[in-house]
Amino acid sequence: MRIPPIPNNHRASVTDCGTPIHLASEVSRRDFMRMLGAGTAGGALLGAAAPVLPQNFGDLEKALLLNAIDVAMASGADYADARIIHTRFEAVGTREYTITQVQNTDSLGINVRALVGGSWGFSATPNLNADAVAVTAREAVAIARANDQVAPGSLSLAEVDVYPDASWTTPHSIDPFTVSVDDKAALLLRANEEALRVRNVSYVTSSILSVKEQRLVATSDGSFVDQTLLRINPSMTITAISADGREFQTRGSVVEPAGRGFEYVLGLDLVGNAPIWADEAAQKQFAARVDPGVWDLVLHPSNLWLTIHESIGHPTELDRALGFEANYAGTSFLHPPESVLGRTRLGPEFMQFNGNRNEFGGCATTGWDDEAVPADSWPIIADGVFVDYQTTREQAAMIAPYTGNTRSHGCSYGQNWQSMPFQRMPNVSLLPGEEDLSDDDVIAATDRGIYVEGRGSYSIDQQRYNMQFAGQVFWEIRNGRKTRMLKELAYVGRTPEFWNSLSVIGGDSSYFLGASFGDAKGQPIQVNAVSHGCPTSLFRRVQIINTA
Amino acid sequence: MAEARGLNDNDLRSISERILQLSEADQCRVSIQSGWRGYTRVATNRITSAGGAENTEVTITSVFGNRVASTISNRLEDDALLQAVRRSEDLARLAPPNPEYLAELGPQNIVPVSGYYDSTGALAPGTRAEAAAIAIRQAEVANQIAASYMDVRAGSESVATSSGLFASHASTGVAYTLTCRSPDGLQSGWAGDEANDWTRIESQRIANDAVRKCRSWRKSDLDPGQYTVILEPTAVGMLMLRMLNSFDQRAADEGRSFFSRPGGNRLGERLFDDRVTLFSDPAYADAETAPFTADGQPVERQIWLNAGRLNNLSRSRYWASQTGQPALPRPTNLIMQGGNDTLAEMIASTRRGVLLSRFWYIRGLNPRTIAYTGLSRDGTYLIENGRISRPVNNFRFNQSLASMLQNVEMLGPSVRVAASENSSVGTPIVVPAMKVGRFNLSSVSDAI
Repeated sequence: MRIPPIPNNHRASVTDCGTPIHLASEVSRRDFMRMLGAGTAGGALLGAAAPVLPQNFGDLEKALLLNAIDVAMASGADYADARIIHTRFEAVGTREYTITQVQNTDSLGINVRALVGGSWGFSATPNLNADAVAVTAREAVAIARANDQVAPGSLSLAEVDVYPDASWTTPHSIDPFTVSVDDKAALLLRANEEALRVRNVSYVTSSILSVKEQRLVATSDGSFVDQTLLRINPSMTITAISADGREFQTRGSVVEPAGRGFEYVLGLDLVGNAPIWADEAAQKQFAARVDPGVWDLVLHPSNLWLTIHESIGHPTELDRALGFEANYAGTSFLHPPESVLGRTRLGPEFMQFNGNRNEFGGCATTGWDDEAVPADSWPIIADGVFVDYQTTREQAAMIAPYTGNTRSHGCSYGQNWQSMPFQRMPNVSLLPGEEDLSDDDVIAATDRGIYVEGRGSYSIDQQRYNMQFAGQVFWEIRNGRKTRMLKELAYVGRTPEFWNSLSVIGGDSSYFLGASFGDAKGQPIQVNAVSHGCPTSLFRRVQIINTA
Repeated sequence: MAEARGLNDNDLRSISERILQLSEADQCRVSIQSGWRGYTRVATNRITSAGGAENTEVTITSVFGNRVASTISNRLEDDALLQAVRRSEDLARLAPPNPEYLAELGPQNIVPVSGYYDSTGALAPGTRAEAAAIAIRQAEVANQIAASYMDVRAGSESVATSSGLFASHASTGVAYTLTCRSPDGLQSGWAGDEANDWTRIESQRIANDAVRKCRSWRKSDLDPGQYTVILEPTAVGMLMLRMLNSFDQRAADEGRSFFSRPGGNRLGERLFDDRVTLFSDPAYADAETAPFTADGQPVERQIWLNAGRLNNLSRSRYWASQTGQPALPRPTNLIMQGGNDTLAEMIASTRRGVLLSRFWYIRGLNPRTIAYTGLSRDGTYLIENGRISRPVNNFRFNQSLASMLQNVEMLGPSVRVAASENSSVGTPIVVPAMKVGRFNLSSVSDAI
């Protein structure tokens, strides 16, 4: 068994204007109940046991997978892999003082992917018995063969080490599925209550989405990987309406999803922070309109992560660059690979982006990918220059002559048992600067600028040039200090110029991970969860528009 | 004739009854989604993936008093169903009370809709591959690179309650979209169709249109600004899909919508051009949807905008009970009444304007003005003195849809369009091409 290293980048989170909130790394169930406060949920809290969910995979599932591989290879596949995936979701949603949703989803099945010549075939079934699995394996091979006949070809898979007995579990101290729904609801309702105490705050929605994926992967190379991945997505949106009903403003995206256990949610202190976020919603009503034009821009990680996702994460996906996503997600301005790799400057010398699948707390963090490739960490932009894409085994081979990399970066993922794995975004993070500048230090380096927190309305074109991104909370910076709140604005730009305008980045103390559960790509569309770490960063002379 | 995909009415009924019998809750609701999805995907002039899977998902909602929770599972064996029922009951017992919960519905007067087409349900992978091959061949001949997707769905759904309601519906859907690009990456064209009935998908026309668009669209510079625009039906559909979310009375009454007015909503007010009529109808031919909601309310034909006037807003059962009105479910499809103007007439009548084929990455900016941003894609042309003068760069728009519907100048005949950005079978949208004044093309996009 091999466990990928966990980098020491578990950092403090900053969720309000400059007041750091430390993420408690170890919070016990007892701490949790103390945090909720006695009497909040009455005696029910203590007595409430979470429903016990079925099981772990065992020899039966392993035998089914190995049989699937054997059948696929015997049917003429050049390579095959198979997965049993059991996905569980739990959603607890509230609105003001009431619960609106308690839902548990449970989906289990097996899939087989087979390679014949240059074409893949894929088939899946929810029936976990030997006969159904054999039919599914043969069907995958038949589809691959039929596809290859339309346009015969060949495809080479990058070399990989074999891991015959590997396992990995998302590091956590509280499995979210052991915390009962009433505990989760009580936490949310208390946070709502705190928010609703603030003047003019009329509406609040909040929710906790928990995900547990148990994934077994077997390959015809001989790897066998057993993993349990946990992710959690707490959220809260607060709406303030003016007394005359004419003005309404919302404050959302107050916290981030993470690839962690429930202790992460407890460390966010939703109840303690709710009044701060609610106050921001109320203040937004009276915020000033921006004077559109050119401004310096200080982006807090809670906003910058999505800008990274859209303008660095997506264009460095190799399948987009090569035209495989042309009919939906689009292509990439970083094309063709041989002309841009090692040549295209996207930012200043100090700008370093890493792709990784092993950052602590990352939503795309894992032990191995869907092709049993171990988690990797690699430079995508080094010293400001684009140097590598995100790859799977077949993709790594396509660009090996230009990158010198003969191995996959381990970016294969299928969203569930019904879905064929393909290249998905890893965590793509902007590394903090060598000098440990804080959030305040970066603001202090700005004479006239706008400070942006939280993700707002985001839109970017299908080659990732024209961006128009908004936020949740905007502050005008004058002479190195935040002054008054602004509202209803967006920053617009063209990706290469935007990143080349990066002029100051924060250090370790301003670094944290933002994330999304909803990274969409592929046809049929699949969603991927991904995180992006970054420090607070200053961009010079960016175009600002009024979106009111 | 092949057997229809998805569980048949008897099986849906018997699984629902089995679950309702296992239930120990005060009330219980069972929803079943059962069906098959097949697909064929092309990129770089090759089939890159094809496949299919059947699945049946059962949603069990258990209610104790007004404590409510649900469990979704795809495991139908007896012991798994029992486990799922118990899990939803355990969750419901733990859930805090929901004061907005209203008791499960009893039998309803639901007018059945037939939305299942055998042409789609029996569509074989080989037929999908043939359609794909037509486009690949045509693209190769034109020295272009094809990327396409065909999404096919066929199945059934049902809802049953412990109060005696049962309703079921079978449906099919197919979406076929094609993007052709030039090898140098400087030209791109798109075409697509969506239907319930496979025989309405015109594979050859789609191949012709995408190849033609790609050949004709090599951009030249045009400044951003406010333009008269001609929106092809797909472009209109992608915007009108967003209108669908705006007809909510609670949001209007609470001051969060374009349809809000201090102290109430704007029902009955004339808000748009009088040629704007929008309705939904689950029985509309080749845009059929289920005639009931997830909780079993009947869905019927409903006019939302009538000759520019706000005619209706949807109300949940709870909001209806608060406002003393009957409940009115959200639209399940959207049909915009068309006109008689052809695209050629719209172009001929335009001194200076921009023709837009479709959009990408549409996101909300302001619900009070129904303002959205997004980008044009795969075919943007300058019109001068009544004719297309040249292909131009793509644009980002920042535009209030309310203003757009106030500035309508011409309307074409309505057609079903592939309105979802990801080209999956989506909410059926039937709309005309439209000529609109004062549309905000606010910045240039270099993307192709």
